[in-house]
This record gives sequence, structure tokens and C-alpha cells, in this order.
Amino acid sequence: MNESKIITVAEPEHNSRRDFMKQTGAILGAAGIMSMVPMGTRAAAWAAGSDAPELKEVKVGFIPLTDCASLVIASVMKFDEKYGIKIVLSKEASWAGVRDKLANGELHAAHVLYGLVYGVHLGIGGQKKDMSVLMTLNNNGQAITLSNQLKDKGVTNGAALKKRVDAEKRDYTFAQTFPTGTHAMWLYYWLASYGINPLKDVKTITVPPPQMVANMRIGNMDGFCVGEPWNNRAIYDKIGFTAATTQDIWKDHPEKVLGCTAEFSQKYPNTARALIMAVLEASKYIDDMAHRHKVAEIIADKSYVNCPLEVIDQRLEGRYEDGLGKKWNDANYMKFYNGGAVNFPYLSDGMWFLTQHKRWGLLKEDPDYLAVAKKINQIELYKQAASQVKVPVPKDVMRTSKLIDGTVWDGKDPKKYAASFKVRA
Amino acid sequence: MKYRCFFGEHLFPPLIGAVLFLVVWMILAQSSEALPGPLKTWDSAVALFSDPFYNHGPNDQGIGWNILNSLGRVGVGFGLAALIGIPLGFIVGRVEFIDKMTSPIISMLRPVSPLAWLPIGLLVFKAANPAAIWVIFISSIWPMIINTAMGVRQLPQDYLNVARVLNLSEWKIFTKILFPATLPYMLTGIRLAIGTAWLVIVAAEMLTGGVGIGFWVWDEWNNLNVEHIIIAIFVVGIVGLLLEMLLVKLAKRFSY
Repeated sequence: MNESKIITVAEPEHNSRRDFMKQTGAILGAAGIMSMVPMGTRAAAWAAGSDAPELKEVKVGFIPLTDCASLVIASVMKFDEKYGIKIVLSKEASWAGVRDKLANGELHAAHVLYGLVYGVHLGIGGQKKDMSVLMTLNNNGQAITLSNQLKDKGVTNGAALKKRVDAEKRDYTFAQTFPTGTHAMWLYYWLASYGINPLKDVKTITVPPPQMVANMRIGNMDGFCVGEPWNNRAIYDKIGFTAATTQDIWKDHPEKVLGCTAEFSQKYPNTARALIMAVLEASKYIDDMAHRHKVAEIIADKSYVNCPLEVIDQRLEGRYEDGLGKKWNDANYMKFYNGGAVNFPYLSDGMWFLTQHKRWGLLKEDPDYLAVAKKINQIELYKQAASQVKVPVPKDVMRTSKLIDGTVWDGKDPKKYAASFKVRA
Repeated sequence: MKYRCFFGEHLFPPLIGAVLFLVVWMILAQSSEALPGPLKTWDSAVALFSDPFYNHGPNDQGIGWNILNSLGRVGVGFGLAALIGIPLGFIVGRVEFIDKMTSPIISMLRPVSPLAWLPIGLLVFKAANPAAIWVIFISSIWPMIINTAMGVRQLPQDYLNVARVLNLSEWKIFTKILFPATLPYMLTGIRLAIGTAWLVIVAAEMLTGGVGIGFWVWDEWNNLNVEHIIIAIFVVGIVGLLLEMLLVKLAKRFSY
């Protein structure tokens, strides 16, 4: 239906370009031949028609978290104007708010949880709507915080937590930010790796970060998983400590993505590409560690994260402390670019969230993992944009990662992988 | 002498109340490290209101803009509710059949928490701002319908008998008898409604985002800036009080 709508409004030259795009898309999807075509030719392929962005202003939503940085920098440092668009940032109240505004078109795109996009596409955790992931915004940089009350009882890590939960029966409460989101999955995975079933042995609830902190302060919350600056903030406010960083759970895990509806990416491919290019350039800028302090200053502003600078800058610059007296420089700090490895929307990354949704009973049946990921992750758009700004693109659409419990995820047999976990719903 | 009486009767009691309030607040703030005291809050209020109308883009605007935006939403939602609720109240009060037809529905929907209507608004209007206005509308329409209908119902039968004797048209009955007799009830409904509307906007904006006092509070809570949250509580309270006083003034002018 979308297809016909587009063709009726498109200029003739757009038309031919679309057909061309579809053909190359079919080839790419079928055999991955595109990766053998030299860079220059590939760029020329989509530049054949007019590549001017269809929209001049792009409304992009964000949640005030450290990892919204690349969008803020793209706008503040005017990388967006370089590619013919203006990013209009809109601070949102909650992930549910982001979801609703993406779905109803109030936002063109957003800084959003990887798992949320997949959930909405399949109709879990939101009304079913076809979605797109344009690129990954960051790797790493979230954490699991446990309360100081637990610390006083000698719980400083996952194994001790398991002992405590077994020894003292009561309602343990853990919080995450969205049922299908990344934080829920990190929290569940971490608890399960120590033999704690997140759905049966403890209570897990969805609440916004300030409420997590408020509840932990009054002893009503045992732990939570959330993005920075909240975990550092818990230490700063002396209410909790960092029991694990998410990079401990999965080194260089995918986290936030630049998400939009499928309608947007189909209707405005040039705008989507311009957006990717601007954010890629911002990502590059942020990953130069010499710029990090300045980035922290910019995003701590009231318009963006609205938070004291000293809470944000340490972990953004890779300086960690856990609130138990340990200080270290984390090699796997929050990364935004990492030579382009961060931003490529690997199909295996997207599929991983589906396997976890299946594991925890959010999905009742096994979906067609690969087909869903191919539909959502806009690899083609990303490759075209990346080639324009000379960002290297990996050869394979899958990557292999080893997680905290020793299991290896390579995207090859998702159904088997999803069924392989002992602790599950 | 007269001056002292005025002071003793009208100014002294509220003053004592305010002082007691501040003392309790100070004691609470002393015993809790997270809660800022009155002085600290006053300092940040002065800083905040020294520049209430700055505009640093859509995500950072002065407190004045936030209040005005919220008032605008309340105005639209409340206005629409009055436009529909008051005529509906007249019909419900006047026609027994319609009264019986609608009263179970109204009684069922009235106690529903206003925020429960927000997802419906989002689904129907596909935009956050109309959804917030819709919540104001739905939560302020009930007191207007119910009070107007009650006003119509309590109209002494004698008045209507006289109208019948004089053979007045339905329009004449409305303008000469029904409307003036119902007005005090209607105004009570409106006053109740504006109170609810202002109460609800803060909660609705917390969920929908955008410029407004509700989202401002949410954003300050995100920052765990407790002084600003306390200031916002005062701002919401004072604006609510002013709205109420305005309507009482209006009601007094129209009472016969």
C-alpha cells in the first residue's frame, strides 16, 4: 500500500531511481553481491536520482540519557546542516511516550531502545506497527545498580545476591525501563546467569529512572538496570553501587538505535540517509577522547540530559568507580563509533533481542528471526550513507559475541539459541 | 481601631498559618538531607523567576512559558467541555427520558481517573497535545453536566406552571426562567471543573511531554532537583487558587 502511495507522489526521476534501488535491493538481499561492488560505484548507484533530503526539518525524539549524545552533537555542532537537514530535538517523558509519538508521526525518528523497536514491529509492548532501525547509536555504558541495603548485608555481586535470595525469602524488587527494551534484557540475562529467575524468583517492574532512585532511597527497590548517568548518580547520591556494567554482560553490546517507522524510511530515504550521515559524523567526533569532556558539558545542559556535569563526565570518559571502593579505567566504556563497528545495524544484534523476547515469554512463538531483522534493520540505507561519509562497513551482516555466561551468539541458529537457556519463563 | 480589627480578623490568622507551615517545613528539612528548606527554595525561586520568559529552543524554556502553555491547554479543554457540557446539562435536566438514558453512563464514567483517558486520546487523535486537551475535556465535563442538570431539576414547579399559563415558548422559558434560575448551579459546576482541569493538566503533561508546567516538573524530577519541584508545587497551587478566585468573582457578578 505504501509502495503505490509513494509512486503516485514521486517525481518521474525518483521513480526510476526507486526501481533501480529495488533491483539493487533484491540483489543485495539475495546474494550479498553488493559487498563485492567497489565503494564508488555503490555511492553512484543511489546518487543517480536526486538525493536531496525530502524533508528539511527532522523531528527527533530523545530521552535524557548519556547515550543521546550523538544526536545532540549532530544538532549542536551543526553536522546536520552539512547534509541538508535540520534536526529538531524533542525531549520525551518516557519510552512509552517515544513509542507513541513515533507511531503517530509526531516524531520522525528517535533515540530508542533496540528491543523496543523490535517489540513494536511484532506487536508486543505496543500496537503493532512496521518499524525500521537506521543505525546503532552506541555500544556499552549501561549498568546494574544494587541498593546499599543489600551491600550492608554483604551482597556485592551476582553470586552473593543469589545466595541472599535463596537464604532470605522476601519480595525482591528489580526495575527496568521498558518491558521489551534493552535494560530489561540485560537485567534478566544477568540475573539468570547467576541462577536467579527474573520472572519467578524476584519481582521485576517497569518504572522511570527517577522513580527507581526515589524507591531505592526509601529501601523499596533492591536493584535496577538503566543507562548512564543514573548508575553513577546512585553512587553520587549514596543509595547504591554498580554491581555489573552491561559491557561485563556483553562486551560491545548494541544499545540505543536510531529508530523510525518503516513508513518514514520508505517515504523519505534521502532524509534518512542524511540523518545517518550527520549522526555518523557526530559519533566520530564523540569517540575522539579529546572531545569527550566538551561533549559531557554540552549534553549536561538543561535542554538535554539536565544533570550535574560531574555525574555525567566520569563514565563518559571511561573513568569508573563502583561505589564499593574500586576505581578503574574501563576499556569498554560507552562507544559511539569505534571505527564504524558501533553503528552498523548487524542483523545478529536485532535477532538477539528476538531470541530473548522468546526466552522470557514475550513472544509466544518463534518468529522468522532472520526475516524480521532484515525487514527492520535498514542495512542498505546505512551502507549507502556510510559510503558517502567514508565510514567502513563490515563485510558480514552477522557478528559473533561471547556473553557473560559463556554462550556464543553468532546469529546462525536463533531458534536453537533461544531454546538453549536453562533459566527461562 | 478599625484598622487593628481588620488586621486581627483577616490578616493575623492566615499569617500564623503561613508561619507555622514554614516552621514545620524547616523542621522536616532539618531532619532529612534530601529535602531543601524554605530559604534554599526561596533562593532558587528568585533565580528562576528573575527570567521567566527565556527561550533556549523547544527543550528549555522559562517557567513563564511553561505556565502559559499549560493554561492554554486548560483553556481549550475546559472551553470545549463548557461548550458541550452545559447545553447537555440543560437537556438532561429538562427531558426526563434523556436523563434516564444517560444517567447510568454518566455515573459510570464520572469516577474514572482522568489519566485513564489519555491512551484513548492518543489512539484517537494520534498526537500528544490534543490527547492532553482531551483529558482536560473529559475530566471537566462531568461536573458541568451534573450541576447544570441539577439546577434545572430543582426549578420550582410554580415557575413552569406560570410559564404554561402565559403560554410561553420553549425559548422564552429557557431565557427568562431556566437560565437565570440555573446559573448559580452552573457556576458551581464550572468552578469544580476548573479545579479538576488544572489538577489534571500537570499529570497529563508529565506523561505527554512538551512545553508545560507538568513536563517541567517531570524534567526537574529527572534531574532530582527537589527545590524546583517544591517551587512547582507552589506555582501550581497559586495558579489554581487564582483561577478559582476569578470564577468566584464572576459568579458573584452573575448571582441574582
